Amino acid sequence: MDTTDTVLLTVLGVLALAGGVLVFVLDSMARVTFALLVSLACSGGVVTLLGLPYLGVVTVLMMVMEMVIMAVFMIAYMMNPAGLMPMSMLHNTRGALAVSAVLFAALTTGIFAVPWPGREGRPPRDSTVQLGTALMEGQMLTMVVLGLVLLSTMVGATVLATQRGRYDRFGDDLDRRPARDPVGGGVGR
Amino acid sequence: MDLTRRALRAAAARPRVLPAALPGGTPARLEAERLLRLRDWPVAATPAGADLLLVTGPDCPALHDPLARLWGDLPAPRARVHAATAAEVASALDTGRERLAAWSGRGSGAQGHAGGNDRVQEPPEGGGGHAHGQADDGDTGTGMPMPGGLPMAETGPDRDGLALDRLHLALGPFLCDWPTGLTVRLVLQGDVVQEAVCEDPAAPGGTPFWSGPWLRAAAGEPVTAGAAARHRAAATCDSLGRLLAVAGWPEQAVAARRLRDGLLAGAPAGALRGPADRLARRVGRSRVLAWLTRGIGRVDGGRTGGSAPAGPPGADGDATDRYRRWLDRLGRDVRHLDDPAPLDPYATESPRGPWEPAHPPSAALLALLPALLVGAELAAARLIVAGLDPDPEELAGAGVAPRG
Amino acid sequence: MVERGPWWTVAAAPLLLAALAALAVAADALLAARGAGRPVTLTAAARPFLALPRALVAGPRRLPAPDLLLWRAGVVTVPVAAVLSTLVIPFGNTVVADPSVGVVWFNAMEVTTWAALWLAGWGPNAAFSLIGGYRFLAQGLAYELPLMFALIAAATGAESLRVGDIAAAQQGLWYAVWMPVAFAAHLAGVLAFSFLGPFAHPAGRDAAGGVLGELSGPDRLLLQAGRWLWLASGAAMAVPLFLGGGAGPGLPAWAWSLVKTLLVLALLVVAARRLPVVRPDRYVELAWVVLVPLTILQVLVPALVVLGR
Repeated sequence: MDTTDTVLLTVLGVLALAGGVLVFVLDSMARVTFALLVSLACSGGVVTLLGLPYLGVVTVLMMVMEMVIMAVFMIAYMMNPAGLMPMSMLHNTRGALAVSAVLFAALTTGIFAVPWPGREGRPPRDSTVQLGTALMEGQMLTMVVLGLVLLSTMVGATVLATQRGRYDRFGDDLDRRPARDPVGGGVGR
Repeated sequence: MDLTRRALRAAAARPRVLPAALPGGTPARLEAERLLRLRDWPVAATPAGADLLLVTGPDCPALHDPLARLWGDLPAPRARVHAATAAEVASALDTGRERLAAWSGRGSGAQGHAGGNDRVQEPPEGGGGHAHGQADDGDTGTGMPMPGGLPMAETGPDRDGLALDRLHLALGPFLCDWPTGLTVRLVLQGDVVQEAVCEDPAAPGGTPFWSGPWLRAAAGEPVTAGAAARHRAAATCDSLGRLLAVAGWPEQAVAARRLRDGLLAGAPAGALRGPADRLARRVGRSRVLAWLTRGIGRVDGGRTGGSAPAGPPGADGDATDRYRRWLDRLGRDVRHLDDPAPLDPYATESPRGPWEPAHPPSAALLALLPALLVGAELAAARLIVAGLDPDPEELAGAGVAPRG
Repeated sequence: MVERGPWWTVAAAPLLLAALAALAVAADALLAARGAGRPVTLTAAARPFLALPRALVAGPRRLPAPDLLLWRAGVVTVPVAAVLSTLVIPFGNTVVADPSVGVVWFNAMEVTTWAALWLAGWGPNAAFSLIGGYRFLAQGLAYELPLMFALIAAATGAESLRVGDIAAAQQGLWYAVWMPVAFAAHLAGVLAFSFLGPFAHPAGRDAAGGVLGELSGPDRLLLQAGRWLWLASGAAMAVPLFLGGGAGPGLPAWAWSLVKTLLVLALLVVAARRLPVVRPDRYVELAWVVLVPLTILQVLVPALVVLGR
């Protein structure tokens, strides 16, 4: 790691921390969401600089999409219309402070208490290939199971959240075509 | 300083125009649209994107306030010109350009005094309604300071059974590609229309432009069927231009408006048949456009016992059916431009439907709007209005209320 | 073989991108002039650039309670991300940066337009703007997955996420030939993230300009420029991904890259004018029910070819 990398790493690390702090300081839901996005994108940069470019860039990619979708839902469901009303992002301050202090202390102690192993061998030429091999060879079963669990969770959550089921759309005998929808789709089912 | 002046002069070579059409000024609006197209002066959709406010048509005191707000929202450098008649449009545009080129910031402190807190109760306007509240009382009564002085939105049940914020938004009277003088007050949740109320259109004076030949023929003046066909074809092209602009197809919207200008300028029938057939082919046979407008604004014209709102036979079907009927009629009309027979105003359909002095066809179309708009998304709502394209001038000309 | 260029390419890449975008704007202006019955001249092609002096002199628009910081952040992000995306696109045999994950980098930069346009719609605190911002998210949910599968198809065929490797892997046959669905999905994606033509819904005229509606002065210029920069960037990316990069007989590699990029750009500019706006309420269902399965099958093709190799 040369000087440029070290400087970048420091800058990104500080920015990530600053974004994290802003999440609790700012009083607008939209700004908080995007402070969190800046923090996570900087974390992605840190991961990239540490030699895992795929994971780093994918973190940025996924976080942008997730934060935007999250902003949509948070703003849709909060009692503060459209998010312009200043509101505090702190809840249960005393309890939260205690939990975070204990966690911080535990993690910091961990850093110093754990006997870190010395470097053995050399870093791979392409960490992306190594990552792919690990996921798709050694951990293939884990990843397949995980993927299915995630998918079924998403489908299940959507089904539970949807008020209208197929009988509402297609009629009692499921033979109404096109379906009765508030807004017609593009395929005409 | 010199650089600024040069930049001003360069920018004034292509001013962005915000057209504000007043009721009763259709010829001036048409002339303005034609000149803007030929001069390549872009038509802005909002005050923010405009330099020049071009007001067309006879003065209308009822619309002074919305006009003043529109003007107040134009960022500097800006100019405002008024062309009461079609003949004044060209000189008004030139004046506007000169004022922009010579703009020095004098008397410009303007922007802002209209953009402050006095917008709480936002009356109808073109540019942009604001995302917040506009509850009718304008004050929540809690004494809490509201951001920007805007009231909190109130919630109401939406179509999925959730309680979501309601936004009060007015479409019109000054909105791009929108019937002149029409104002529709909407209650939106997200971009879904929950309630829609058509206001009485601002009253113009004089006879409505598009149904003019029918009115004249009914009054006993000699009008040839060919002249009426030309007028109706131009009206159809005007409506098509609006619909295509709202549907986001600028290329064909321009083609329709070019054809309209050719028809009104009295171009020979032989020169118009080609463009008319091309428009009918490109738009009428476009599967993409048909797919995009399918099922939007479905009206039951009395033929089937469906669940759609009932309307006049001319409005039967969905938006796709309606613009295809327009194109068919356009194709027939351009083949009868030289018909010397006298016009029978009761046997020949006027641009918006069969003509009856007491019940102009636009009244029925306007009466249809609220039922069609509720439940539609904003884009679909715009397509519904543009696809029916009622002409508020007809109502004022006949002296009837819109729900006639 | 694609190699990292010298330091000055960092400045040259944005300039080249801006030149390509300007060409696209001029071509669009010429097509518009022809359609409107105005003379098709060099002046007609240059007139859109009068927006530059206009942006310099235009004053800001004042609105009640806007979120200026977020608004401006969104507006600036669009052109900046477009420029950053070109860092990994080879021009001939030269590329500014050649990371091993170039395809993912391009994708990540493109996805930032989601956040940027939502912010640009949110910032001014105006109804039509906000609707425009949300429209882009709905559009994003529709175009993003087919686009991602298109990128994955090219990467699978070359067994690499490095853009240079993908271009080099097409020595025999362009991916556009045997992965036509992926190529088409990429081109549709380019129009979608530039929100131009059939995907101009977020800036739709029916919503009084949507995300563009409340912008004036330099902000408006930046966001408008961002659209065309993205169009140029997407066209340039299609060349190494699907059209063999700089490979070709006779001419030097940079010339082939330029010719192919200009052809893709011309295709996109013409296509953008040929179609009405495809609203997300129709396109989302089409994308998920038809395009996503199609593009997944398309990824299967190079995967099987690579396995059998």
